[in-house]
Amino acid sequence: MKKKLSVLRFLLYLPVLFLGRNQLAAQQSGVDSATLSRINALEQEVADQKPGESHFMVAGLATMGFVSNSTNTITGGIGQKVKTNSMADADHYEFSPMFLWRHGKNLLLEFEPSFDGYGLGVNWADVSYFAAPGLIVRAGYFVLPFGTYNKRLAAGWIDKVAGDPVGLADLPPSSDFGVEIEGGLPMGNMKFNYDVSVTNGMQMQSDGELQGIGIVDNNKNKTITARVGWLPFQNSCLEIGLSGMFGKVGDAGTEWENVKTDMYAADLNFVKTLNPFLVNIKGQYNYIHVGDAQFVNPDDMSAYTFKNTTKTGFAQISLRPTGSNDNFVKNLEFAFRYGNFTTPGASLWAAKTNSWDFGLDYWLSWRTVLKFTYENMKTDNTVPASLNTVKSNSMFLQFSTEF
Amino acid sequence: MKSIKHISKITAVIIMGCIISGIAILNGCKASQLVQAKSGAQLWAENCQRCHNTPSPSSFSHEQWETIGMHMQSRALLTDDERDKIVTFLKQAN
Repeated sequence: MKKKLSVLRFLLYLPVLFLGRNQLAAQQSGVDSATLSRINALEQEVADQKPGESHFMVAGLATMGFVSNSTNTITGGIGQKVKTNSMADADHYEFSPMFLWRHGKNLLLEFEPSFDGYGLGVNWADVSYFAAPGLIVRAGYFVLPFGTYNKRLAAGWIDKVAGDPVGLADLPPSSDFGVEIEGGLPMGNMKFNYDVSVTNGMQMQSDGELQGIGIVDNNKNKTITARVGWLPFQNSCLEIGLSGMFGKVGDAGTEWENVKTDMYAADLNFVKTLNPFLVNIKGQYNYIHVGDAQFVNPDDMSAYTFKNTTKTGFAQISLRPTGSNDNFVKNLEFAFRYGNFTTPGASLWAAKTNSWDFGLDYWLSWRTVLKFTYENMKTDNTVPASLNTVKSNSMFLQFSTEF
Repeated sequence: MKSIKHISKITAVIIMGCIISGIAILNGCKASQLVQAKSGAQLWAENCQRCHNTPSPSSFSHEQWETIGMHMQSRALLTDDERDKIVTFLKQAN
């Protein structure tokens, strides 16, 4: 009888026990999950701050495509046509992984090797120290603060048309060795930014032309490059920038060792939604002057001189119908760019080039684009020994992505 | 004459620097209340599209956004406040 009573009592207590246990478990699980999520958040914060190799990442870009070109060289009224098709034209293929290594919140190491039609090169390899609000100190091999095209707009997944503006991306050369300070500062409703570098500088050849690639530190002098940017509106829709680059370019120990260059650039960037379009206007103008000197004509080694001034620039507008309700239309972007490149009129490489680019882009994602660009380019070579006009038409189909 | 021309260029650069520094000092290098009140989402929309399309928050992890934020601050010369707010927004929206 007693046994039966005990079993009955046990059966009666069983639901109570379960209920109590469940309540306790729920209570415990409630406390545990809140604590655990807090711990996770704290761990994440600590991980974000923690210096060391844990903050290594790889990003970068890949650009590839096809270009069909027809060039007509007209000499003395007689034209000669050449047609080419290329899958990896030197200016329109690029694979550039970017290695970023962050130590805590103050130190960033950046390295971007790049493979293109010219071979394997390095876009930048530098160390940045975020010293104070509005002050970043950088050393190494970095993009010069001359205009904004090379530093901000040259990447294939950012550029609205297939190629670089004629003459602008390589003159002056985009990167150099040195130290740099830069920063962005608020100014009421406005903002301004500054970027100043001291680098080895440009190198002039004996015929007066500035070296484009393979530059060596040819003298003791260092070149100062500086840019100041001003964003007058609180919504940052407009930025106007002015740059200057000053330094000696002649080889030490030669008659040109005191030849200086002074270069100036003006850049403009306007981005605003004017329904139904996102309007994007960009432009840059470079004025490159090398001091007067007696240069050497490599053809006959005679001395000659000329006003050594090169001008190059571009103006670009693109429209993206972001206000459209149609997803396909929304991802389209129309672009037009005009470019000009004028080399010194009396030099051995005197020429004037105008280019017109018409682009139709389709954005597959925010960082992946399929571009179709038609480019018309006309170059008047004005060197007396080789007077001619070169007319070129190119069609590009290009895919570019950031990863 | 050449040296005068050269000096005048350097002087022009110095004057330009002084004017900008002067304006910055007068303003105390502070953002207005209107700018200070901006959210990370608004700054993300305004600043990223100055060069490229606005990035999707899901493109990178929290830790990676911190690194990308530093890289982009040096490219676009964002202010520190802008970078912090944009990165916080991207991490929250991720």
